[in-house]
Amino acid sequence: MTRLRSPRWSTVLLGALAVGWLYPVAWTLTNAVRPTADIYRAPWDVTWPPMLGNIGEAWSRGELGTALLNSTLVTAMTVGLVLVLSISGAYALTRLRPPGRALLFLVVLAPLIIPTEVLIVPLFSMYRALGLINSLPGLALVNAVANVSFATVILAAYFRTIPRDIIDAARMDGAGRLQVLVQIVVPVARSGVMAVAVLVAVFTWNDFGSALVLIQDPDAFTVQLALTRFATFYATDQGLTFAGMAIVILPPLLLFLLLQRSFISGLTASAAKP
Amino acid sequence: MASLRRFGRDGAIDLLFLAPTLVLLVVLLAYPLVSGIALSLHSARGFELTGFVGPDNYVRAIVGDAVFHRSLVNTVVFTAAAVVLQIAIGLLLAVFVADVRRGRTLLVLAFSAPFVLATVAVGAVWKFMYAPYFGLVPTVGGAFGLDTATVAPLADTGTALWAILAAFVWRFAGFTMVVYLAGIQAISRDYYDYAVLEGAGPWRRLRHITWPLLWPQTLALVVLGTIGTLRVFDLMWIMTAGGPSHATETVSTYVYSTAFRSLDVGYAQAMAMLLLLVILALTIVEYRLLDRRAEMASS
Repeated sequence: MTRLRSPRWSTVLLGALAVGWLYPVAWTLTNAVRPTADIYRAPWDVTWPPMLGNIGEAWSRGELGTALLNSTLVTAMTVGLVLVLSISGAYALTRLRPPGRALLFLVVLAPLIIPTEVLIVPLFSMYRALGLINSLPGLALVNAVANVSFATVILAAYFRTIPRDIIDAARMDGAGRLQVLVQIVVPVARSGVMAVAVLVAVFTWNDFGSALVLIQDPDAFTVQLALTRFATFYATDQGLTFAGMAIVILPPLLLFLLLQRSFISGLTASAAKP
Repeated sequence: MASLRRFGRDGAIDLLFLAPTLVLLVVLLAYPLVSGIALSLHSARGFELTGFVGPDNYVRAIVGDAVFHRSLVNTVVFTAAAVVLQIAIGLLLAVFVADVRRGRTLLVLAFSAPFVLATVAVGAVWKFMYAPYFGLVPTVGGAFGLDTATVAPLADTGTALWAILAAFVWRFAGFTMVVYLAGIQAISRDYYDYAVLEGAGPWRRLRHITWPLLWPQTLALVVLGTIGTLRVFDLMWIMTAGGPSHATETVSTYVYSTAFRSLDVGYAQAMAMLLLLVILALTIVEYRLLDRRAEMASS
């Protein structure tokens, strides 16, 4: 099996399995461009030429334009914030010497063990008192908490590969901590920064649980909340649902395909032992 | 003395780089945690606290609520099954994919693509595949002579949780595969060449070389998978909303409906705190057990 002369049949089987694996994705994308009646008559067929009617209708009836804008804003804010926090945090934990470093690492990992789900009720109370319900920056803050731990773990793994000699030499030449971070550490570890940015973007775009609780005004709906409109209001119109889903899953899919290398290396590093 | 003070000041400046993260965690993690503990010890009407009740909410959940018990069992069973299946499927995929010379990247992309799909979309698509009459599962079942109208995995209390599990594992097995694949590619070829010389077959090479050397990855995947799955909410909420008759109720879905539908927030938070205790306990136990085994293997 492992590292043995490659038997062709296993490659063929794997290929077939991969096609089956992707079937639900392909099915969603093809049904998005079919008339609803066709989907019910023959759910497993393909209609040619593709019909864009449901896409347009899903866009307007699901108010996807607003939702895409809201999701883009939340995602951009979360990615920006998490990058600042995790870059400077991972730098402090791996290449500086703050007092109590081991304990600080545990503190940074706390959100992994204390997930948003178990704090959603007090978070809702707090947000209500502060008037942050329906606030997109407010939602971005909660997403930042959910993402900052693994982002810091990944970047710590990348930063550890930077030889201390380089940093020490720069410090001897009079460079400050921030200067070393900006001019040496980040450029050297830019693939790690990229990986974190992609992962945080995808996770935030796909966040459903915290948005469900913290966003109630339809004008502030993210794409995931907008999708639930199809499931509840237009449950009988599967064509619209498929079209809406295709619009919402395409941005992360394209990002994944374009930046696959960053994505995969980020995933690998996220399981690294801190 | 002077050098010590200088070290102290340097350390303080080093700490400043962590300060933004620490501030965020105090405001949005520590504070809600403390106020959540307080909330769980109170009775409430809507989101207004009406009185201190001590451990009553906890007693009610532990002793008197069959739905909470059901949700806890569902959550733990679902998590155990999900972690084992993700490890098994991810490892098998990685072992076979590592062996492919041409088209490996395409295979990796195909198997990991579901990971970037939104849960809302995954839930809706799988729900449609399970739908009676025209869904994929009833259609395949029909081909084997089952009545297509009665094959409805999500509507049956005996199968609903497992039907959701399939969608869950489909989404996450690619992640496990990616982590294992990187581990396998870091293993020296010499081990395998030597094993082949000694006449070890594929199974024995997997059992005695690949699996033990991948133990750090397995440790991380088991712990991350457990933490990540015990909180499971989205997929249940989309596919069944906890039904039929609580067959797919998890602690998180029950906490959500208790807090935001029944508006019984003190009680909901007590159950959330119990879930947190389960997460903490299982994480510590797993880490101890698996880490000890890793030490034994490496010594």
